Amino acid sequence: MNPQPPPVGGPKPRVSGLNCPNCGGSITLRALGQASSVVCEGCGSILDAKDPKLQIIQTFHRIVSSDPPLIPLGTRGKIRGTDYEVIGFERRTITVDLVEYHWHEYILFNPYKGFRYLTEYQGHWNDISICKELPSMSSSFNISPRVNYLGESYQHFQSADANTDFVLGEFPWQVRVGERASVTDYVHPPRVLSGEKMAGEVTWSIGEYIPGRDVWKAFNLPGSPPAAIGVYENEPSPFRANLKAVWIGFAALAFGLLVMMIGFDVFAMNSSVFQGAYRFTSGYPRAEASFVTNTFELGGRPSNVEVTTSTDLQNNWIYLNYALINQDTGQAWDFGREVSFYSGYDSDGSWTEGSRNAAIVVPSVPPGQYYLRIEPEADTVHPPVTYTVEVRRDVPVSSFYGIGFLALLIPAILITWRSASFEKSRWSESDHPHSPIIPEGS
Amino acid sequence: MFRQIYMLYGLLILATVGYAQYNGWSLDTMNQLKNVPKSVRDNPGSYRSVYSGYHHYTGGK
Repeated sequence: MNPQPPPVGGPKPRVSGLNCPNCGGSITLRALGQASSVVCEGCGSILDAKDPKLQIIQTFHRIVSSDPPLIPLGTRGKIRGTDYEVIGFERRTITVDLVEYHWHEYILFNPYKGFRYLTEYQGHWNDISICKELPSMSSSFNISPRVNYLGESYQHFQSADANTDFVLGEFPWQVRVGERASVTDYVHPPRVLSGEKMAGEVTWSIGEYIPGRDVWKAFNLPGSPPAAIGVYENEPSPFRANLKAVWIGFAALAFGLLVMMIGFDVFAMNSSVFQGAYRFTSGYPRAEASFVTNTFELGGRPSNVEVTTSTDLQNNWIYLNYALINQDTGQAWDFGREVSFYSGYDSDGSWTEGSRNAAIVVPSVPPGQYYLRIEPEADTVHPPVTYTVEVRRDVPVSSFYGIGFLALLIPAILITWRSASFEKSRWSESDHPHSPIIPEGS
Repeated sequence: MFRQIYMLYGLLILATVGYAQYNGWSLDTMNQLKNVPKSVRDNPGSYRSVYSGYHHYTGGK
């Protein structure tokens, strides 16, 4: 027999008005025929919703909750395209190391779709529904137990005994204040698989993390949702999606940098335009030490000039004042460089310090006729120093590639560190706080 | 969003490195002068370098 199509305008929930047999207060049944128990808002008695006389299941001294439902009972909203009404609310508590942790569960009802649940813990929300099939225990047991559900592997996060300590509205089971259930959570962000064991029976549910602002939008609630505190067990990492893309991007950019380096190395002029060999003897009284070289031509576009000094120093030093001067314009670059080299032998063996050669790169020198003014300085007591000076035009500067590589690497490392910190915060709240960081979705 | 920003940042880095190489930038420090007289060529001692009068560091010994 084909089911009748739903009436135009959507289903209208069956609402029934009854009275509490304990206090006489009015009872509203929003999911009449579907709910198993209902809580009297007046006296807190839990009543059998299946019984026409609303037999009392339990009475409890209801304390006015310091954290009432954030979504009032009777509020309607659209979850995943389906209209639901909030018909029940409960607060549950687990105790770990004598510290109580509370979370809230909202029971949602649609006459055609049945029940659905929203949970909230410190501003973190989950959209929960009952599993359609049983999860299977994973055979691969490495760091912590895993279960498989609908082709996804979920890692054990936490097991605890949950106590129901506050109820309000209607429930699809005969709820009791004080009822205890053994709850085990497995995570595969943004999903969580929860097994609740009560009286030998395990009920599995699947949840998906939902931002508080989406809940507020779905139920058209006033104001803004409470801010989420910390990292929740199945909260999707905001860094995880970027992590792989950033490292792929880094690899592509580093490759681009390598290609650029090879290209500039191949196509750079890197030509020797001047070479000269000199000998410097320092003495006293000293004559004028400075001298000028022959002129040489720097061709091409404005580019750098490398001045290299090579010496025969041995346990000695020399300082060379250089000026690269344009013969025609009088533009000059003035710079100096010490060259020193020391060596010896001690109890650790032979050692050396410094170098016999030094190079300095003059930036962006326009083409033209140039000469060098050289003024050497050295100790008067040291022997003469022989040195050569070479000038090269348009040389590749490798330090730029090093700086570029570091500039590319730092953001990639930063986001990796942020991602790892996020996972560490997540797992610090689990039964496996010292486990290695398990990548999300693995 | 971050990956787009990172790629844009990375391309900017590559462009800067390429521009620096092409235009012959340098990380070495030096003093730039204008209008050095042509007489320096004949009388090098008349030029006074800002780096002259160097004091060699002896490591405190």
